[in-house]
Amino acid sequence: MRKVMRVVNRAQCIGCYSCMYACSRTYFHIATTKLAALRVKNYAGVEGAFSIRICIGCTHPDCAAACPTEALTIREGGGVIFHEEKCIHCYKCVEACTLNAMQWDPIAREPLVCHQCGICAEYCPNDVLALVEVEDDREAHND
Amino acid sequence: MINRILKIDLTKKKAEVYSDEKLYEDFLGGTGVATKLLYDHHIENIDPLSPESPIILSIGPLNGIYPIATKTIAMFKSPLTGNLGESHAGGRLFMSMYDANLSAIIITGKLDMPSYIAIENEEVRFVPANSIWGQSASATERILRSAEKGIGKRSIIRIGPAGENLSLMANVAVDTGRHFGRLGLGAVMGSKNLKAIVISGNYRHKMENFAEFNKIYNEIFWTAVKSPAMKKYHNLGTPQNVLPLNKINSLPTRNFSQGFFEGAEFLSGENLAKNYLAQQIACANCPVGCIHLGTLREAFEDETHFKTLKIPYDYEPIYAMGTNLSINNPNALFKLLNTVEKVGWDVMETGITLSWATEAFEKGLIGTNQTEGLILNFGDVETYQKVLNFMKENKNEFFNDLNKGSAYCAEKYGGKEFAINFGKNGSPGYITGRDAFLGFLMGVRHSHLDSAGYSIDEKIISGDLNADPTEEIDMLINEEEWRFILNSLTICLFARKIYTEDLVLRALKSVGISKTSEDLKNIARKIHALKYKIKIDNGFDLNGLNFPEKLFNVQTGRGKMNKAIVQEMIKTYTNRIKSLVETLAQ
Repeated sequence: MRKVMRVVNRAQCIGCYSCMYACSRTYFHIATTKLAALRVKNYAGVEGAFSIRICIGCTHPDCAAACPTEALTIREGGGVIFHEEKCIHCYKCVEACTLNAMQWDPIAREPLVCHQCGICAEYCPNDVLALVEVEDDREAHND
Repeated sequence: MINRILKIDLTKKKAEVYSDEKLYEDFLGGTGVATKLLYDHHIENIDPLSPESPIILSIGPLNGIYPIATKTIAMFKSPLTGNLGESHAGGRLFMSMYDANLSAIIITGKLDMPSYIAIENEEVRFVPANSIWGQSASATERILRSAEKGIGKRSIIRIGPAGENLSLMANVAVDTGRHFGRLGLGAVMGSKNLKAIVISGNYRHKMENFAEFNKIYNEIFWTAVKSPAMKKYHNLGTPQNVLPLNKINSLPTRNFSQGFFEGAEFLSGENLAKNYLAQQIACANCPVGCIHLGTLREAFEDETHFKTLKIPYDYEPIYAMGTNLSINNPNALFKLLNTVEKVGWDVMETGITLSWATEAFEKGLIGTNQTEGLILNFGDVETYQKVLNFMKENKNEFFNDLNKGSAYCAEKYGGKEFAINFGKNGSPGYITGRDAFLGFLMGVRHSHLDSAGYSIDEKIISGDLNADPTEEIDMLINEEEWRFILNSLTICLFARKIYTEDLVLRALKSVGISKTSEDLKNIARKIHALKYKIKIDNGFDLNGLNFPEKLFNVQTGRGKMNKAIVQEMIKTYTNRIKSLVETLAQ
């Protein structure tokens, strides 16, 4: 068994961004939403509906497959590990993720890779996100 | 902390950024800085709706950093009262300003045609937008959210037709369900041909003292998430107040005729949550999520087609368009609120103006010749809906006058004694007793949030506090001055119990601002004095202040008010303000 991130209760999201603040704060020591490895977005014109894009820790990640320089390697337990020195800033990893979960730092021109640590879920006040045990990639997509 | 002020001249279509370290040292940020900026503008001889009239948006040193520091202050010359205009809004605006590395924005001038402006960091684009002029406040947000991509999380503030038509009670809608509601900022924007402001940024503020920042962040965050004091804002939200206020005879009903509303249970937080609540949403960086969206499901064509709208609701709109107009059906209330939201009025001033109009109609001060044949009755939703439509169209002189608020209408048509406004601003929804009213009258914004006198009344009603005129005045002034500090940081007042003085001092220190308790008191007094100086210089007359006469005949939560004592209290309070303002000359 391994633990990976899931959006377990999407419709319970209140759009407070505490998850994104927690991720940016933990890995960059910066108070912002923009350096988070996940994205909570308003659906334009739909009051109160939020789209939540988060890395689900694939065992065969499309992002790593798309990377021409092996800057992304497969992480044991799911997802990827980022090797900054190999990154050529080509953006192919972001484009390869159909879930739109891979985030991008436009200033460093690098992907913001999820560590599957669950800090975002810890700060979610409404149990929208969770670090869940799965065996198969296709498990636990329950919302 | 940031001390970068973006000055935008709409006439010249120019913008520049400057820094002012001393200003922030002296006034912290938020309301303190905005007050000083407005004061320095010398608005005494400026028409609030002229190009020279400034709009100031201001955040403080804790915005963007700590949870529930979610407010932005708007400061302007109020077209409704002619003096200090100040309104606070949540949403994402503070975050977008912080991300843009801007602590304040000052807007003057007038655009040559209907436009919106897009601010990305310090870059400002002036975008002609004839096509969105006339659009509802809600549609404008949808349109701009797809038209403007931004360089970070966008905040969109905009006016509806009310602001375009220069209604003196026009508001400015902020993101979803939040507003610069009070005192007519919408008309000031409208007078500048400024339909909307879209703001985003991509600055990154590294925390110098990360360990301390992280510690304080967690302290605030987890208290907010776990404390019952904050839970109530998430669970039922502010409408939790409906039943308790009704129980103590303090819920304004039919233009403040009584404090008991027979339909209160239908409009209670409990009933709305059980039968109408779609969901809660939050301001950015606030885990509380107090914004309640109700569902309005309406049939159209035949009974097989439905549309479902989400209507933000809070205590004050429920009082203003519900209990005080004797409307007890949530669906009917939501319909009215939806119209008010789209047209872009201050819901409280709108409600008070309608309740004055209804009583004035009853008493024969206005008649069907003014109302285009409409018969105004408390509780008549269909007629109120028509009144709002006629107001939106400025159908005739009378409906145009309604757009100017209750004080203007009472001056022109009579009925001042039952036009329930304080300092020309429509009353908030409390008949708890004299301290609520005294706070509305003497508070710088004439808002229930200035000094929360209702809370003192409630403590006296429950027996936790003894009535004492002098002490009550002290408590009101102390509370208002402490709130000047909170409003300078700028936190949401729902978190005032978390942001104690000790926490505020530590939080400020963690962002490099060393202040003592005494420093904060001095800053607060200076802010108070400056605000009142602005009010007085702009015609607010401290002599002859009084409550609307009708209130002296109403049973408040504390019983009937003793007029002589109240007038003595107003006199004492006024003298305290006069000596406060005199300290500025020293």
